[in-house]
Amino acid sequence: MIRRRFPWLSYLLVVTGAVLTVVPFLDMVMTSFKGPDEAGTLPYRFLPKAFDLSNYRAAIQQLDLPVLFRNSVVATALITGSVLLTSSLAGYALAKLRFPGRDFVFRLVLSTMMFPPFLFFIPHFLILVHWPLAGGNDLLGRGGAGLTVSIVALAMPFLVSSFGIFLTRQFMISIPDEVLEAARIDGAGEFAVWWRIVVPQTRPVLVTLGLLTFVDAWNEYIWALLISTANPEVMTLPVGIQFLQDYVDPTRTLPIVMAGLVLSILPVLVLFLLLQKHYIRGVMLSGLK
Amino acid sequence: MVNATLAPEATERAARDRSAAGVRGRARHRRRQAVVAYLFLAPTLLFYAVFLLLPLGFALLLSMSRWAGFDLGDIEPVGLDNFAGLFADGSTFLAPILTNTLLFALGTVVLALAGSVLVATCIDKLRFQGLWRTLYFLPIVTTVVAVGNVWKYMYEPGGLVNGVLNTLGLGSVAFLQDPDTALPAVVVVQAWASVGSAILVLTAGLKSIPESYYEAAALDGAGAVTVFWRITLPLLRPSLLFVCITQFLTGLQSFALIIVMTRGGPGDATNVAALEMYRQAFSYGDWGAASAAAFVLFTVVLAVTLVQLWLFRRKGEDA
Repeated sequence: MIRRRFPWLSYLLVVTGAVLTVVPFLDMVMTSFKGPDEAGTLPYRFLPKAFDLSNYRAAIQQLDLPVLFRNSVVATALITGSVLLTSSLAGYALAKLRFPGRDFVFRLVLSTMMFPPFLFFIPHFLILVHWPLAGGNDLLGRGGAGLTVSIVALAMPFLVSSFGIFLTRQFMISIPDEVLEAARIDGAGEFAVWWRIVVPQTRPVLVTLGLLTFVDAWNEYIWALLISTANPEVMTLPVGIQFLQDYVDPTRTLPIVMAGLVLSILPVLVLFLLLQKHYIRGVMLSGLK
Repeated sequence: MVNATLAPEATERAARDRSAAGVRGRARHRRRQAVVAYLFLAPTLLFYAVFLLLPLGFALLLSMSRWAGFDLGDIEPVGLDNFAGLFADGSTFLAPILTNTLLFALGTVVLALAGSVLVATCIDKLRFQGLWRTLYFLPIVTTVVAVGNVWKYMYEPGGLVNGVLNTLGLGSVAFLQDPDTALPAVVVVQAWASVGSAILVLTAGLKSIPESYYEAAALDGAGAVTVFWRITLPLLRPSLLFVCITQFLTGLQSFALIIVMTRGGPGDATNVAALEMYRQAFSYGDWGAASAAAFVLFTVVLAVTLVQLWLFRRKGEDA
């Protein structure tokens, strides 16, 4: 790299930027320790008077945090599991199997990525509400609450990822055909070839895809908000915390909300720090987040 | 078992012309592979049918209907009335909502691009690159509920931003309550949250610029500023273009942050098209107007996407 005459200028810029990025997180953590009269009052103070954990205890109780946590875990696990399974199955078919209509299906997968998510909130919600023979609905989808009564509703619109299919397909194309052919001659069926050879070979890309999907699913807000409004029992962490913030006295509950937020972002943060390389590669592959 | 099924096949094959049997075997193999392929694709195709084609058709139908929202039999076709309503006199859709959407997207692109270009060009020359990258990436893996609430609190009179302003001897600003500052205040947060991924793309772009260009420039005695304008920036253009367009597309569609921070207020000061769609549908139950708004925004997004495809295809042909 070229020698800069003023490397300190670069350091100054990068460090300033990093501080600006991190300060809101520190402010969140500091506020989570503050007493009810300490947050949002003048003059502003960065540090709390004492570091006690009462807000965390309050968050766990007032928010019914274990239930929110369970709902978030179930929805995230369903989405991540399903995306990994369907992506690697479809990706394998599109990369390595020969069948009529393959180009058409592949082009279909690509073209679905043109449709932005906001276009689907309304019809997806209405489809789940009017799902036939679910949640008290009749055959024509009338009379009940449909699939919104089930926790599965949180995951339904995200069970398949076109980007995931595209990603695994691109990765699987580089597996040599001879390896697969050898396994077939040895008597392995296509399912065995997929599970024993293709899936292990594509583990890096599956880890990346799983991580991206996990983070997105864990942080998903709008859809979870819609489903939770219809059925509060399946409320997820982000929705529950926002609910507390909106409907209880905001200034007094602020430290509790911040404590809840710290707890809710911890799992993703830990996972990100542990598997950072995989995640960053995923963001590179998906273009921009 | 294996012998029993193989034996008749073997004798059959021996009895016939070898090449003909080979063709038949291959045909059967191919047919079996097609069945397996469609089995593997079945969950995906089923999902596309129920969660892609059906919703698109349904949304299109709703955008041209009036519907109270309960019995599907009550959907009443009204042609393009919903679209006409969006652009009628006195409608808030074109201004301020659609203009807000464009300002929000543009503002985010400008801020995020400026920040990421500065940081990415500097970060390349420093130590501890991994540490910096991790820090700049934190907002990306954080839920919008956390980002929105923390910043909302920071913008309050007793929050961090006003605390800093007061320390500098400046008066407090009611960022999110003042219609003039609310939109810029939200734009700053959206840009803050997206700088990390832009840095990532630009850093990769920088690494692909050959070292020899810089060495040649150094031999010619070019200064740092000249090198930046004449070498770095022009060669970084594909990455810059990519960041611009993808960030712009994200900006056009985002409304989760706005729901958390302002819910579109004060008044319509931070209301954007996707949020208006959401409110028309889920707050006022006007499914027709909401779906029409969704398709108008989709048209804008599609236009930008097509420009992107065209730009990058052209670039591909040049190369």
